[in-house]
Amino acid sequence: MSADPDVRPPELADAEEPVPRGGWRARAGRVLGAKETGLAAVLVVIVVFLAWQSPNFLTATNLIVVSRQIALALFLSIGMTFVILSGAIDLSVGSVVALVSVTVGQLMVTFGLPPVLAIVLALVVGALVGVFNGAVVAYTRIPSFVVTLGMLAMASGLALGITQGQTISGFPQGFLAIGQGSTLGIPNPVWLAAVAAAIAHLVLARTTFGRHVYLLGSNEQAALLSGIAVRRTKILIFTVASTLAACAAIVETARLTVGQPSAGAGYELAAIGAVVIGGASLFGGEGSILGTVLGTTLLGLILNGLILLGISAYWQQVFSGAVIILAVALNLWRQRHRR
Amino acid sequence: MTGVPLLAMRGMTKRFPGVLALDDVDFAVRAGEVMALVGENGAGKSTLLKILAGAYRCDGGTVLMDGETVDISSPRASQQHAIAVIHQELNLAEHLSVAENIFVGREPRTRLGLVDFARMRSASTSVLAELGVDIDPRAPVSTLSLARKQMVEIAKALSLDSRLVVMDEPTSTLTENEVVVLLELVRGLRARGVAVVYVSHRLREVFAIADRITVLRDGRLACPVLLTADTTPDAVVSRMVGRELTAIFGEHPDHKIGTTPILSVRGLACAPRVRDVSFDLFPGEILGVAGLVGAGRSESVRAIFGVDRMQAGEVRFDGRPVRWRSPRQAIAAGVGLVPEDRKGQALFLGLSVRVNIAAACSALVSRAGVLRRGAERKVAADHSRELRLRATAIEVAVATLSGGNQQKVVLARWLALRPRVLLLDEPTRGVDIGAKAEIYRLIREIAARGVAVLMISSELPEVLGMSDRILVLREGRVAGVLVGRSTDERTVMALATGIEEQVA
Repeated sequence: MSADPDVRPPELADAEEPVPRGGWRARAGRVLGAKETGLAAVLVVIVVFLAWQSPNFLTATNLIVVSRQIALALFLSIGMTFVILSGAIDLSVGSVVALVSVTVGQLMVTFGLPPVLAIVLALVVGALVGVFNGAVVAYTRIPSFVVTLGMLAMASGLALGITQGQTISGFPQGFLAIGQGSTLGIPNPVWLAAVAAAIAHLVLARTTFGRHVYLLGSNEQAALLSGIAVRRTKILIFTVASTLAACAAIVETARLTVGQPSAGAGYELAAIGAVVIGGASLFGGEGSILGTVLGTTLLGLILNGLILLGISAYWQQVFSGAVIILAVALNLWRQRHRR
Repeated sequence: MTGVPLLAMRGMTKRFPGVLALDDVDFAVRAGEVMALVGENGAGKSTLLKILAGAYRCDGGTVLMDGETVDISSPRASQQHAIAVIHQELNLAEHLSVAENIFVGREPRTRLGLVDFARMRSASTSVLAELGVDIDPRAPVSTLSLARKQMVEIAKALSLDSRLVVMDEPTSTLTENEVVVLLELVRGLRARGVAVVYVSHRLREVFAIADRITVLRDGRLACPVLLTADTTPDAVVSRMVGRELTAIFGEHPDHKIGTTPILSVRGLACAPRVRDVSFDLFPGEILGVAGLVGAGRSESVRAIFGVDRMQAGEVRFDGRPVRWRSPRQAIAAGVGLVPEDRKGQALFLGLSVRVNIAAACSALVSRAGVLRRGAERKVAADHSRELRLRATAIEVAVATLSGGNQQKVVLARWLALRPRVLLLDEPTRGVDIGAKAEIYRLIREIAARGVAVLMISSELPEVLGMSDRILVLREGRVAGVLVGRSTDERTVMALATGIEEQVA
């Protein structure tokens, strides 16, 4: 952001243009100009392509499978959206999934706690990880990258330690319905993720906390000097991300019927990728939940497509890594050309 | 001085989406002359410089050096044609040494292919000595003052055997004394036959140093090139703005100044810069704060505002002792701070004008943590109208505004809070003359409403023209308090530098 004010054509701002509000034409222009629209178009192209290439794509079975996977990923990418919007990164969410997965298993199966209580306690464990991440980031000058990388190791080590590397099974049927059941023909995880996305959207767009997330990501110094409680906001942001990771862990555990310490490995990368594909800037201050939903769906469909097209799972990783780099490159290019 | 100019730009044209930044501009500099380039923000100065630096490619026109057409469409090509551009924001690697910075990218090598530090140091020493500046080539750049960093940049240009040196607002962060040294350096360059392009808002310097003046307005030449000897600052200003500017600072209005201080500071200390600062600030007054860079002006204000922790001293607000531990607490009490570094510390560049204005008043535009978007839009619209912000669209990103309008957005943010004390740190830095006059008018209006205004400024005419009283700081202590109307630049400088001890 070193461009001189002199260079920017100030006449642009000075022109007596009316506020772009109201009028279907103006509105249509804004909708078409939004980057979410471009993303949605890409999504349609992929759906059409997959439907054409693979007879198995548009089947109920496949759609249920792929939507469950996307829903699961969505919890993590929604949380990651908050973190990335604030200009930080959270690498620990995947290992939080593992930690919470074994915690809920331990509480419900080993200790025999009632499912609701076990879920609540497991969510609290997830939230506490976020509080810890946020507090360390807020009160020290350690970059979030380093703090959460450390947490990644700690949480996954903890998950392995608690279970001695074993998986936990024997969950009650009612609990498993969270991951496996459907309501009105739509898998429960999809309902849950949709609710999470709607709430997250409202929080970011309509609350002071959401506004502070953007301000913090846009310019932390200016946020501080504008009287924003920077530390509190940071702690809250990491707590949101971790808690959503814990939600993903509950859904995942219920879907797979086992609590396992290896759950969630690599999920952080998918989440970061989805958020970036959704148009968020890794420098903070720019992005939206709608973009993240589209980005997550896009990534999920691509992976599903690779399976349907018979490409080996090993290559899928290479592919999704490349897509992420491509998305970041595209974002940077777009930023430069907007000037 | 006859013959072919060293640099000639003919018919330079540069288009940006929606605007013609440069429209058929001719510009020429001869060897051994200082050509000033002046104009308001947005007039096209920086665009022209960026073309010279090879950062922008022009859409039309030709560039000639020694009469031959040259291609300077990349920074490298520009450097190869012996052009050195010293940007306002210096391009130095802070953690590297002075010598390493001077030779960055062309380090001398030993036979083994390793960097020959000894040769680099001795070459740096001789370049610095030529400039007559005493800087240790081994010192890390981060330990140097801004003025000295700039000298390192000039040394770098010299060591590159540059024939054309372009300086973009070189004095905007320097104190008056450092400016004198810099101007002397520029004269030295001219004497060596270097062509210098000197871009500045400060006409006093332009008239002190330039042989000729090119005035840009709205991307065009405002008039044929002026000979400094044949013109006056007033004439140049009216060419720049296209109208006569009557009294930039406005009259000292005879409004009421309160009799009990709203803010009083006693014995403020905050390492390393602030040692012992005491003053009172009264409702309705404008207290100018003058001093050299490093005198502890910004640091004092930051400590009061709760950004930096104060080590000693007492602050009373409205008669009650306070110690704000964060800006949040100071803001809650009714204090606002416009920081020195607009882009780094005040603006949310990618976000809209509306969001920028409402940034500090969440409490006013929300209920139970939920934003009231109507209220927010109203606050933003009301205040942008009040500030005659030309951006009628409050939804545009603040990054697209000119420097003056950006500063108005920052002011609007604080006005929205109805503050009782407003702390302004260099409120007109990097703002063109037209916008400056408006900001001055605004500051006066704010004070007239009974707000206590503290204004730090390194521009003496500004301090003298605006202040009811002037607090002069020197090395972290109060050097004196002067009455704005009955003092002059010399008295303020004498106090700021401590050269002559003078009684206020």
